[in-house]
Amino acid sequence: MLPPEHDDVPLVSVTEVPLLKPPPTFGPRLADLSVNARDTRLLHNPPWVRSVGPLAMTVTTEGWKFPAPPVELSRPPAPRQPRPEGREIVLAPTLPDNPDAPKPERVRSRPTADTVLVKDRLLYLLQPPIDGLFDGRALEVPFKPFQYQAEGIAFLVPRTGALLADEMGLGKTAQAILSLRLLFHQGQIQSALLVTPKQLIHNWGRELKAWAPDLPFEVFPADPEMRRATWLRSNCPLKVINYEALTRDAEVLADPRVRFDVVLLDEAQRIKNGDSRTAQVVRSVKRSRSWALTGTPIENSHEDLVNIFRFVDPGLPLDGLPPRHLAAATRDHILRRTKDDVQADLPPKMIRDVELDLSPAQRVAYDRAENDGVVHLNELGQTVTVQHVFQLVMRLKQICNFDPLTGESAKLDQLTADMEEVAASGRKAIVFSQWVEPLGVLAGALAEYGPLQYHGRIPQAERTSVLDRFRDDPAAHLLLMSYGSGSVGLNLQFANYVFLFDRWWNPAVEDQAINRAHRIGQQHPVTVVRLLAEGTIEHRIAGVLEAKRKVFNDLLAEAEKPSRVGLSEDEIFGLFDLTARPKRAAG
Amino acid sequence: MTDTPPPAAITLGFLSLVQDAAGVSGGYLLTNAWGRPLEFRLSSTVQPTKVQQILYGPTLADYLQCELIGRTLVEKSGTPPVLIVTDTPVGLGLAHRLNVPVVAVGDEGTRHPRSSKPLAFAGNPEAVLELVDAAVDLAEPFVRIREAAAEARKLGGTSRAAA
Repeated sequence: MLPPEHDDVPLVSVTEVPLLKPPPTFGPRLADLSVNARDTRLLHNPPWVRSVGPLAMTVTTEGWKFPAPPVELSRPPAPRQPRPEGREIVLAPTLPDNPDAPKPERVRSRPTADTVLVKDRLLYLLQPPIDGLFDGRALEVPFKPFQYQAEGIAFLVPRTGALLADEMGLGKTAQAILSLRLLFHQGQIQSALLVTPKQLIHNWGRELKAWAPDLPFEVFPADPEMRRATWLRSNCPLKVINYEALTRDAEVLADPRVRFDVVLLDEAQRIKNGDSRTAQVVRSVKRSRSWALTGTPIENSHEDLVNIFRFVDPGLPLDGLPPRHLAAATRDHILRRTKDDVQADLPPKMIRDVELDLSPAQRVAYDRAENDGVVHLNELGQTVTVQHVFQLVMRLKQICNFDPLTGESAKLDQLTADMEEVAASGRKAIVFSQWVEPLGVLAGALAEYGPLQYHGRIPQAERTSVLDRFRDDPAAHLLLMSYGSGSVGLNLQFANYVFLFDRWWNPAVEDQAINRAHRIGQQHPVTVVRLLAEGTIEHRIAGVLEAKRKVFNDLLAEAEKPSRVGLSEDEIFGLFDLTARPKRAAG
Repeated sequence: MTDTPPPAAITLGFLSLVQDAAGVSGGYLLTNAWGRPLEFRLSSTVQPTKVQQILYGPTLADYLQCELIGRTLVEKSGTPPVLIVTDTPVGLGLAHRLNVPVVAVGDEGTRHPRSSKPLAFAGNPEAVLELVDAAVDLAEPFVRIREAAAEARKLGGTSRAAA
């Protein structure tokens, strides 16, 4: 736009400048500059978003249900009742708890290596500690089991095949009963069969009432028809039978209805002969779990153990296994503790070997019998047999007990002196003999000590009252027992002295006898007196027995062992200086 | 006669919550009044993301342990418990969610004859605690749960992270 015209404003001369001609420039040329531009679409597209993943969290679960205890075992516990006099074992008073004392490790059941199902493994891992079960009222017991017994229960409960081989007197019965009771309570088993020697049925009944008062049990009757009904129709959870009746009922066992969740063998050495009828029938019982109890799994040879395992774990390939490998092969199935292992829980046992000189009359009779006997055996030459030697041994042992003519007895004299001390201190003693006759003689000679007799000639029905009287009668200081009747299963922990009037062939049987008194519940030291006639066959037998005992201990301690630990034929002949030998032995 | 109910009528739930590098997981054991196992349940491991941690903020532990894992474990089990025992104070939050008394065993709380460790309470569990057998130690089952959880995971049980 041009400025308005004014007269006084001089006219401006305009010079035409061609626009197309670029003006003169200095420095860089304008034509070198350029501008870049880009489209921006702010409103046409949604903004950019990055996902951070779901905000909600999820979880998955996996669960296992376990068998519920049967209703009858889930009743509320009965109020505590005072126990009948004499049935409760009173423990020595304990010191007040020391808060700083280390607490023993809790005892838990663990799944075994062959427990493969996750559910089964969890079931055992989730069980409450066994040592704690007896603190409350879940499992009422006459007295709280010892720590090692809780460990025994923890061993049995998860195992389908188990041999509890604790030394006699450590309470195998209580451990087995409590294990069964726990399994019933957990709902893991519904039926069990207990097989025991006939003379121990009553004892088991008593123990069952004490350790499992809430577990019903039924003893098989003597009548075969009634027994059949018990096999096939009774729904009692625990049935008790003796070996002889079981063997007679072999046919019934084939019935598919006869099946048990647990079969428990007491005194399992009864099946040490694997080919015996008893062993075969026992093995034929259909079962899920096989438990065996014995304090003497090896009485004569490692074959005893192999045969017991044909019941405990038939799948274990032990036949033909070298003895030195036996311990390793069976390790997971055997639990054995000795009194030395649990010494803190038991008073000591003192063994005293009393070596006596025979009375003059005995010595004369003995020497004559041995000389004549050896001469006779030598005269038999190759026709001599082990039986001939046995007859001589028996004859000589009887003379070591009593002179056949005069009745003199060095052992009786010693026993009489010892009994004075026993009675004066208010204690009780058990005397064991191989024969019944000497027991009768002793009963007469020791009448002032109120002797009671317990052997094969005492009717079964009277035996329990004999034991009750021995326990309860303060005037009864002496119980005379035969090894055969009194060596297994009886609880006589109220006696503090055991006299072995003569020696048995097998140290395991002697140990059984000794441990009638030296067992759990015993409050005082137990003195064992082994009477031996010096310079006689008894001395020689004692040497053999000691060697057998060592072998037994060594084999169970996993040492390499000879295959036979019994009294071999050579050993029997070696008891005398014989020139005669049977044909087979000589060859 | 005694008024004590049968042990099967009293079901106790023991809830263990474990937090480790892999995340948070739970184990739940249902027992009767004598501490015998009736049922066992495991949860998968939950590992919250960084964003979840930020967004859930201080409510994360309560949500994760009580709402997500604890509640799921209890509700998936077949039997409702009369008492829940947990090994973490956070678990006390289950009381109002499930309307069940809850006690937490730990290092802080009050001493109680049924537990070897102090107890913290939510709700009113005293009446139920009276019914628990004297032999039961409420702190003890957590040892079992941890062992069983480790065994289950070793054998290929629940190990998957769900988040």
